[in-house]
Amino acid sequence: MSQATLRVQKISGHAGSVPGEDTQRGYTVCKLIDTTTCIGCKACEVACMEWNDLPFGETVFDNTYQTMPATRWNYWNLILFNEHEREDGSLMWLMRKNQCMHCAEPGCLAACPADGAIVQYTNGIVDFQQANCIGCGYCITGCPFDIPKMNPTTHRVFKCTLCTDRVSEGLEPACIKSCPTGCLHFGAKDDMLDLAEKRAKQLRDHSNFPNAGVYDPPGVGGTGVVYVLHDAANPEAYGGLPKNPRVPLSVKLWKGPLKWLGNVAMIGGLVGLFVHYLRYGPKEREDEDLATKPGGGKS
Amino acid sequence: MSASEQIIPHGHVLRYNLRERLIHWVAAVAYIYLLSTGLAFWSPWLFWVAAALGGAQVSRMLHPWAGLIFFAAVWNMYVMWAQQMKYTDDDRKWWKAVKYYSTNQDDKMPPAGRYNAGQKFLFWGFFWSAVVLLLTGVVLWFPEYIPWSLRFLRYLSVLVHPAAALFTIGLFMIHLYMGLFAERGAFGSVIRGDVSIAFAKRYHPAWYKEIVGESSAPRK
Amino acid sequence: MTNGWVDIKNTDMMLIMGGNPAENHPCGFKWAVEAKRTRNAKLIVVDPRFTRTASVADLFCQIRAGSDIAFLGGLLHYAIENNRIAKDYLLNYTNAAFVIRDGFKLPEDGLFSGFDPATQTYDKSTWNYEEGGDLSGKAGAAHGATGRPAIGKDGKPLPPRMPENAAYDLTLQHPRCVFQLLKKQYSRYTPEMVERITGVPKGQFEKAADLFTSIRKDGDTKKVATIIYAVGWTQHTSGTQIIRTAAMLQLLLGNVGRSGGGVNALRGHSNIQGATDLAGIFEILPGYLKVPVPTDTDFKTYLERITPKSSKPHIWDSWNYWSNTPKFAVSFMKAMYGDAATKQNDWAFHYLPKVDRNYSWTFIWDDMYRGNVKGLFAFGMNGVAIGPDSNKNIEALKKADWLVVGEIYPDETSEFWKSPGITQDEMKKIQTTVYRLPCAGFAEKDGAFVNSARWLQWKNAALPPPGDARLDQETLARIFLKVRELYQKEGGKFPDAILRASWSYTNPLNPALSEVAKEINGKALADLEDPATKQQIKAGQQLPGYSWLKDDGTTACGNWLYSGCFTEAGNMMARRGTEDPSGLGIYPNWAFSWPANRRVMYNRASCDPEGKPWDPSRKQVWWNEGTQKWVGNDVPDFKADSKPKDHMGPFIMNPEGIGRLFAPLGAVADGPFPEHYEPIESPIENPLHPQQSNNPMVKKFKTDADKFGTSKDYNLVCTTYRLTEHYHYWTKNNPMNVQLVPEPFVEIPAELANEMGLHGGEKVKVTSARGNYIAKAMVTKRIKPMTIDGKKTYQIGVPFHWGYRGIMEDEGKTAKTVANLLSPTVVDPNAWTPEFKGFLVKLEKA
Repeated sequence: MSQATLRVQKISGHAGSVPGEDTQRGYTVCKLIDTTTCIGCKACEVACMEWNDLPFGETVFDNTYQTMPATRWNYWNLILFNEHEREDGSLMWLMRKNQCMHCAEPGCLAACPADGAIVQYTNGIVDFQQANCIGCGYCITGCPFDIPKMNPTTHRVFKCTLCTDRVSEGLEPACIKSCPTGCLHFGAKDDMLDLAEKRAKQLRDHSNFPNAGVYDPPGVGGTGVVYVLHDAANPEAYGGLPKNPRVPLSVKLWKGPLKWLGNVAMIGGLVGLFVHYLRYGPKEREDEDLATKPGGGKS
Repeated sequence: MSASEQIIPHGHVLRYNLRERLIHWVAAVAYIYLLSTGLAFWSPWLFWVAAALGGAQVSRMLHPWAGLIFFAAVWNMYVMWAQQMKYTDDDRKWWKAVKYYSTNQDDKMPPAGRYNAGQKFLFWGFFWSAVVLLLTGVVLWFPEYIPWSLRFLRYLSVLVHPAAALFTIGLFMIHLYMGLFAERGAFGSVIRGDVSIAFAKRYHPAWYKEIVGESSAPRK
Repeated sequence: MTNGWVDIKNTDMMLIMGGNPAENHPCGFKWAVEAKRTRNAKLIVVDPRFTRTASVADLFCQIRAGSDIAFLGGLLHYAIENNRIAKDYLLNYTNAAFVIRDGFKLPEDGLFSGFDPATQTYDKSTWNYEEGGDLSGKAGAAHGATGRPAIGKDGKPLPPRMPENAAYDLTLQHPRCVFQLLKKQYSRYTPEMVERITGVPKGQFEKAADLFTSIRKDGDTKKVATIIYAVGWTQHTSGTQIIRTAAMLQLLLGNVGRSGGGVNALRGHSNIQGATDLAGIFEILPGYLKVPVPTDTDFKTYLERITPKSSKPHIWDSWNYWSNTPKFAVSFMKAMYGDAATKQNDWAFHYLPKVDRNYSWTFIWDDMYRGNVKGLFAFGMNGVAIGPDSNKNIEALKKADWLVVGEIYPDETSEFWKSPGITQDEMKKIQTTVYRLPCAGFAEKDGAFVNSARWLQWKNAALPPPGDARLDQETLARIFLKVRELYQKEGGKFPDAILRASWSYTNPLNPALSEVAKEINGKALADLEDPATKQQIKAGQQLPGYSWLKDDGTTACGNWLYSGCFTEAGNMMARRGTEDPSGLGIYPNWAFSWPANRRVMYNRASCDPEGKPWDPSRKQVWWNEGTQKWVGNDVPDFKADSKPKDHMGPFIMNPEGIGRLFAPLGAVADGPFPEHYEPIESPIENPLHPQQSNNPMVKKFKTDADKFGTSKDYNLVCTTYRLTEHYHYWTKNNPMNVQLVPEPFVEIPAELANEMGLHGGEKVKVTSARGNYIAKAMVTKRIKPMTIDGKKTYQIGVPFHWGYRGIMEDEGKTAKTVANLLSPTVVDPNAWTPEFKGFLVKLEKA
């Protein structure tokens, strides 16, 4: 459940203001993932399972080292593997740790109709509150990264919590702690971006990766998870990382203009019909004695 | 439908038989449930409605089932009435004169059959909306099974489903207004099934002629 | 490792070959990543497959499994040709200047001098230094005795020994000086030849060679390179020599003894370093003392044989630390037999078994297959799954009278009678009695684990063993004490060796490992005093280190190398001090590193001959002119007061005091210089000498179970290996690991799959001359087709973590075959490691 009310700055499906809005002075947290030093060892996958006490599931061989095709309601963190050939013919084996990106402008939260099912804390973490989840799956549609996953039996949706329970106690997320090569970092967003930019520059200067850069997509207002990529011009190569992710247009239209128009139309309609009755009253018939009926009438 | 099938009170004609009325009410109750829970999902200001109706999770779970029931009822209506809802030249004339209808100058209206053009519009409006709501509704019922490569179906559905619902809400408001306030006597037609002869002559003269012409005059 | 895990962060250049640390040592690999991140260190990976280690490399070379000597020899050639060598280091710290005896012949035809085709053995007497002095300018001249072997007391020739005074030429010009011979030996390993043998295209090889040797470009002596390897090197019939070539390369480049350098073996299990240190190998006693053999008629003869005498240019000094062998040996006997070992009875020398032949792993199983082994204890050792040639091992077990398995899960060995394909009738015929003892898992054990960096780290048990499972020491103690009881009651062939062995633990049935650790550390048996420092130790006190060991019975020590790990100050292995004042990752107060808590071995070589560090930014040790002592951030691996001008060699464990480019006499079985020989099952004839394709010292086993194939029937080169997600054969019982990688698979090049019409996920059957393995195909771009000596050749990869008992196996979801049904029964002639990688197979749809 959510922490002290002032820690929450956005609540899904909520009428009225959120008490924690505008109360943040400090930084937002950020997880930095350096794909150039990830060795795909999956310690982070296991740490996430262990910390969150998630049950083991069945997997099958699928011609890849990847544990399963996509995250699941009970598997929130997955390394995506891609054997990628560069233009010069040399091979790269790209590995990207895939989990919730904790967008500053989360599409899941925007799409969610249930009051308090999705919250965003002042530190930037986007958290699902399963107790309030109604299982409609709109968040699945709202997310440009294909992250939220539904438990088919209980109809609650789950995803990476950025270990909000650990972070609120001053600990780093479980995945960060478990990473053996130190490819994962955690801290204030500014610090992480600084570190990321330095690493990207090092790759450009020393490792023959002229397009190395940082992935912090502006289309969702920036994310609480940023990547250093060998080739920032080609994020799709990293297990389908979207190049320019945004909250889907139809969701924006639905929650924006359509909401407005619809509400105006409905209320307008009710008012209009009431005014119509006041003005014109009911229809008349020969067999009715309208003089004795309320509202009077002409025969 | 022959007049002898039911007992008709003095000075009344049977407009809707039992089957028609039952199906109407199944549709109506389902629709009201869909409307209530739908509006709760539509607006945070009305989210409490879902909570009041057994809880938000339950509402989310039952909404699509109610949708199926609604669609089944609408489908039945289609089977029963589609033939009678065909758009004719008379309907074109009716729409041309609609300003008289809306200002309650019904005597200036061309003669309407069993259903006037407005009612036909309501019927088709509800029918097609129900189809669209069903198709988009199924997508929204199982969003987790739509693969990422077909996500455009989800994007389409989240926009079209509420848009279609809003359209039906407009139709619904007019339908209630007409049935409960504007055309007195109309409500009885979906409860007991009959309307007065005067009602029939005034609002559906062509239909009245048909009935009267078809069989012997109803018992007085 | 000569160096250590943390030390890798100090490097400028890494060559990772025959190893895949990103996958198999991910935690240790963090230090390689650290070097990249903080020092822009470069990483070169050479492997038959593009592994997860290769995915973070700066340069990758795909190599044919089994051709590593050709590649490394090519690097040696390149370094010499392009003058990218550490000249001063080479001259002063290696035997580059030593002159080799006349009569020594390089193996241009595949054979070194002294080969006897009749006996298929080498007379190694020419693989020796010449006796004499300074031979500079005297090319061809011979000083002193050559060729005539010394005669012993019995009139028979004594085995050849290195001369006390080795001849030398400091100009490195003498045609028989080691440097010139080295140059000539590897002159055949041109980039073209490297391409022919290894399949690495010439241009790619030259890129790698240029990059790796760039640390010595333009005479740079500051930079450092490290070589990191694992069982991708050891598991070949040329394994020992592969590692030798790497060591030679590192000596040539001046990287041994230096921070960020060295020759670094990544051990494959958490405590296998401990296992080898404490003689889990038939040929050694703890601390790498040699076992006695039947010709060691008494202790004196034994010590004579195993205690080396120094051999060097007379102008140089050599500490020859192994000359202290008698102290280590006597102290060991006192630890083993306590008061029963006395000067009078030769320190109970006759209680030790005399090892009469080869008792290494494959030889034991071969013996069992021949019906000569009554019983086997298999403790945490899945012999059936390990192989090689698992079928032979299964058949061998059927012939034993009994088998005791100590395990945490039932495995292929503990259920060998249920191996797939066996019939009910066959099962009924098996007479072996099998005892299954439940043992403890790693998290249930305390004690010290010794890692690749030689750190003895004491750990606590996280939880007790479940149910009836016992700790290893309790199981072994109970067995030993029961055997002792039987000897007491019934007598036997030689009861004294058992009855008089020391077993003085507080709880003899379940000895506390801290007591055992104290025994291993050693204690004083009488009051002792150090004549130099006047420091005193009372009888019964723990020894501070091995410099206190005596050969007069006044000290006891279970393993001289570990002395210092549990002193009067307490359990040094349990220390967790995180101070690292030098920033070099030395952490002197973290645990205990053998020997004597030094972290980088041979660190004298990190300084020039005057005693100044080659690189001032990485100061490990240095000569302090004021105090006239060697001091440093690390413990100097050297005689503390040996002045630089005395020119004592840094490689104190070699009798010569120097690093061996040339390995004299019996140091190695098959040649003083490594030579490329083909794996026993090879796709080609050896381009260097087709008439002697294979190593003449590699012998095949000769039972009917020992079958070998040729490229006529088996067209693919196969390698076996491990994944990050599984650990050998027991994680197939753990749902977490099984979730990560559920099913056995075989990695197949995309081009080969295309040719065969094979798709990812289809079942395939891999067959060798010995058996077949069925798994799903993983079609991948990470193994490319190769051209080996002009012939198009494919390699496939088989991870080996499955068998016929496990979660998926028990559910019938795998074919229940074992990868080592494929591997051949042929071993390295020095270390006896089987050739698990680089053998021949064929592939078809299953």
